[in-house]
Amino acid sequence: MNERAVVAQGAIPADSEVDGAPAIRVRGYWQSVLHRLRYDWVTLAFGVVVLAIVIVAIAAPLIAPFDPYQQSIVGRLKPFGWRGHPWGTDELGRDMMSRLIYGGRISLVMGLAPVLIATVVGGTLGVIGGFAGRLANTAIMRTMDVFYAFPSILLAVAISGAMGGGMINGIISLSLVFTPAMCRVAETATAQVKNLDYIEAARASGAGTLTIIRYHVLGNVLGPVFIYASSLVSVSILLASGLSFLGLGVQPPEPDWGLMLSTLRQSLYVDPLGCALPGIAIFITSICFNLVSDGVRGAMDVRG
Amino acid sequence: MLGYVIRRVLFAIPIALGVSVVCFSLVYLAPGDPLQTVLPPDATAETIAIVKHAYGFDRPIPVQYAIWLWHVLHGDFGRSIASQRAVTLEVFGALGNTAMLALFAAPLSFMVGYGMGALAGCFPGQATDRIVTGAAVIGVSLPNYWLGLVLVIIFAVEYMVLPASGMGQSGSAAFTLWHWSDAQFLVLPVITLAMIPIGIIARTTRAAVAEVRSQDFVTTLRAMGLGEGAVIRHVLKNASPQVLAVMGLQFGYLMGGSILVETVFTWPGSGFLLFKAIINRDIPVLQGTILALSLIFVATNLVVDLLQAVLDPRIRRA
Amino acid sequence: MTCSALKVLSWCGAMAGLIAGALVAPTPSARAAGVLKVAMTAGDLPVTTGNPDQGFEGFRFVGWNLYDALINWDLSKSDRASDIKPGLATEWHVDPANHKRWIFTLRQGVKWHDGCDFTADDVVWNFQRISDPKAPQFFTQQFALSRAYLTNFDNIEKIDDHSVAITTKFVESLFPYDMSYVLMISRCRAQALNYDWTAYANQPSGTGPYRFASMTAHERMELVPNNDYWDKARVPKQDRLVLLPTPEAATRTAALLSGQVNFIEAPAPDAIPVLKRAAMQIVSNAYPHNWPYILNFTRGPFTDLRVRQAANYAINRDDVVDLVGGMATPEYAEVPPTLPYYGHPVIYKFDKAKARALLKDANCLPCKVTLAISTSGSGQMQSLPMNELVKQQLEDAGFEVTLNVMDWNALLDVSRSGVPKYPNVDGMNASRGLLDPVSAIIKPVATAYWSPAGSNWGHFGTPEADALVKQIFEEFEPEQRLALLTRLHEYESEQALMIFVVHDLNPRALSPKVHGFVQAQNWFQDLTPITVDP
Repeated sequence: MNERAVVAQGAIPADSEVDGAPAIRVRGYWQSVLHRLRYDWVTLAFGVVVLAIVIVAIAAPLIAPFDPYQQSIVGRLKPFGWRGHPWGTDELGRDMMSRLIYGGRISLVMGLAPVLIATVVGGTLGVIGGFAGRLANTAIMRTMDVFYAFPSILLAVAISGAMGGGMINGIISLSLVFTPAMCRVAETATAQVKNLDYIEAARASGAGTLTIIRYHVLGNVLGPVFIYASSLVSVSILLASGLSFLGLGVQPPEPDWGLMLSTLRQSLYVDPLGCALPGIAIFITSICFNLVSDGVRGAMDVRG
Repeated sequence: MLGYVIRRVLFAIPIALGVSVVCFSLVYLAPGDPLQTVLPPDATAETIAIVKHAYGFDRPIPVQYAIWLWHVLHGDFGRSIASQRAVTLEVFGALGNTAMLALFAAPLSFMVGYGMGALAGCFPGQATDRIVTGAAVIGVSLPNYWLGLVLVIIFAVEYMVLPASGMGQSGSAAFTLWHWSDAQFLVLPVITLAMIPIGIIARTTRAAVAEVRSQDFVTTLRAMGLGEGAVIRHVLKNASPQVLAVMGLQFGYLMGGSILVETVFTWPGSGFLLFKAIINRDIPVLQGTILALSLIFVATNLVVDLLQAVLDPRIRRA
Repeated sequence: MTCSALKVLSWCGAMAGLIAGALVAPTPSARAAGVLKVAMTAGDLPVTTGNPDQGFEGFRFVGWNLYDALINWDLSKSDRASDIKPGLATEWHVDPANHKRWIFTLRQGVKWHDGCDFTADDVVWNFQRISDPKAPQFFTQQFALSRAYLTNFDNIEKIDDHSVAITTKFVESLFPYDMSYVLMISRCRAQALNYDWTAYANQPSGTGPYRFASMTAHERMELVPNNDYWDKARVPKQDRLVLLPTPEAATRTAALLSGQVNFIEAPAPDAIPVLKRAAMQIVSNAYPHNWPYILNFTRGPFTDLRVRQAANYAINRDDVVDLVGGMATPEYAEVPPTLPYYGHPVIYKFDKAKARALLKDANCLPCKVTLAISTSGSGQMQSLPMNELVKQQLEDAGFEVTLNVMDWNALLDVSRSGVPKYPNVDGMNASRGLLDPVSAIIKPVATAYWSPAGSNWGHFGTPEADALVKQIFEEFEPEQRLALLTRLHEYESEQALMIFVVHDLNPRALSPKVHGFVQAQNWFQDLTPITVDP
């Protein structure tokens, strides 16, 4: 879970010597990416699944058959199909399917929000670090190195544990875990682009730093950043569910897949299948994001 | 070469200091008065005064950090709030137990991961590749603690061939590796722990092997008349640095990231100690454990970087 | 080696692995005969320095095994209520001339585990250890753990080598019950170690039926029989007692099913059918326990009687009993009907509408409350699911509940420190031992026992309650006293003193190889008669 950020080789288009305004070139590159994706049925299929998961989570109130908080002592740990509960009930008689659907919301938020925050914060810091002078670069990158020196689950647990658990603290701690890696990716990409000829040309023609960044650098940095962020999502979902499993995420009775695994664990003997369901949900979500991100990375890797 | 080594080692020192700053500040992240977080709840006014003086809680924060660091460098991590024993005692005892897990999970994951990855890299795009890559992706996408639970259901409860939890029949103090009655406790946690590293190492190896195979020098070697076997050896040797880097990182992960697996199996290692410290709000133990684990991780990274430099001359000149 | 060779080799390796796995027969691990292995609900090993932590479970497995008190408990019968009996004191009575002075006659011929003789000086030394900050043997941790039982303790003096006199602060006819919770440790051993309590913890010495053998911190403690124990009927019949802290019910159940332990506390109720199918013995018994929410009377919504009554009307106790698989009985008052002073208390039968009406009347709708609960612990039963159910029931009636979840030992600290330290907690779910009338109905209402000096957690205090308590303490005639105790019990229900939920039935699961266990109607249990087949 702690791979060094390896910027995909060739994410920077090799055809940088093509004439024409940079904006047009960038669009051409993205068009070719989409073109490649269209023929990659594996990635497309899993992409559809990801979309389905997200839609189901958003549309939870419309789709869920029961109220996820409604307990029923009579109907505890019932099997599939009992009285209209498609996937049975949990240890307090709540409908499993509804809890899994609503749980998707929390688990997805706890998976996506840290990556988003880390991308924005880490990306910004990385671009600044790549563009700014040696002092700022050293300051930023060395600070990031310190956080990078922790194994991710350890840092997440430490920060979350010290702050006392809860969903917000969990998101904060996971964002802190991912920011250094995003920063590195962005900084490497920026540094690679910074000294290219056309940047010099743009500077010579009087463009300000912000303009240069917006039109020339961002397009090239977004690629590797996006690839890396997408690979982080599945890790984030796993880490977030791990935090909830340890009791550091959301508190009961909120439905969250990691928390459900932890509470259902007590009913291991009566209902092992029910116990497995949240784990399967985490697994499917994680693997779909993984495969989609792999596929997109493959499509963006010009050398193939 | 020596220059690189010295530079790399010197570079690790500020990182270690930075890590210590993060650990130190955990006390301030915790809600409530920092003094209360390091004292037992029934402390007398006298105890409070002693701790306050020893740790300088009434001084400015940088001074407090310096005092704390001074204590740490002398091996004094404070006392656990829950047990009142020295934190060093608790942490190093637990670290030994985690190391036992890592010692088995590491070779398992390296060999299986490397083998799988090499196999897939040799036959890119074919059935073998797909199977291996599929298995690797599953490995990194499964919540490993859930896998642990499933293994417990199958092997400990259903078929009762392996124990469900704990370390050894008579506890960790009497754990003897060469008796199956104790060693059987290792099986399930090690497999669970190795799952993710296997996946990552397999993927990295596959990517590295496939990439190296497609490089020009391989065509040259074949043109020179070298047999497949020799070509493979060259390929693997060139792919090694990348793979080694990842392996080293994974070992660090095995030591530092075992908290979930240890919780499921109640394995009395540093991860479980950390978990209990969080539940008990035992901040001194929390600080000590995290500092120890992250320093191990930093040291592992250092060793890996140096090894890489030995294997790949291009890096030395960087 | 070619790529294809690699492929063949890996197939061979996989096949070999599968065959090897199938061939390796699971070796049955050598198990010593007569070893009782217990999985406790405690999250860590109880301390061995005298009075234990981890609640009454600490007493049950460590305290009463290593040590005795002046007065012990009779744990030999399962069909009647358990009461006190002579321990290190053979007889006690109040001084007729001064009702604040109690004379204890000490048992002769008792030896500590370290070989020293038990003397009157040892008793005096022990009480100083937990009450006099100036004494060299004073230990803060023990002071905190014993505090609740010393509320009425004033001082102690040696009369002669065979007796001591303890003076109380106020007249209390039930004082001996307090003394049945104060354990005696060896002065010899403590002095030999120069009062280094960390060292003492690893070499404790008491007068109890078990001796300390070994301990691996956080993991396991081993005790062995004390063959020189003064009560010959209670010399342990097993070879060894092993204690394993196992706070998760599923882990305890797995450990029992896989044979790693042979005695577990509080199995997960859902697992009981599975345990029965595996031929495990499930034992349970009524005992003086309650599982309530103890309320804050200094501030917050529960200071209003109507809110307290509403909370009691809101609880559907039958559902809670169902949740724990029938291993509980509904609780409508402070003590179960099996106790002699039960009387005829007000019964708050489940009535959601009435609850809501009361809340509306009290102008507290929705009524925001914060409840402190634990994840597990001695007597806490299946804490998390039960609390979630209660929360739902309260919210259905118009409350808005925030659960503050913590570890058992942390909740015990909230319990000992009381509302002065935790004013924002409106209610605390801490199970209560009702072994003696003082703990059961007097301590929760008397101002003399306001926390942290005693166990009146929420600082309940009314003139009527204090007057009744004073009368009880000054009444040395048992029958008159019983009538007064009954009146006090009924008063507490009128006042809706706590949110009453259920009484536990204390389920335990034992391996079929375990024999001789008699489950007393008590929080404490006697493990000494147990034998384990090989």
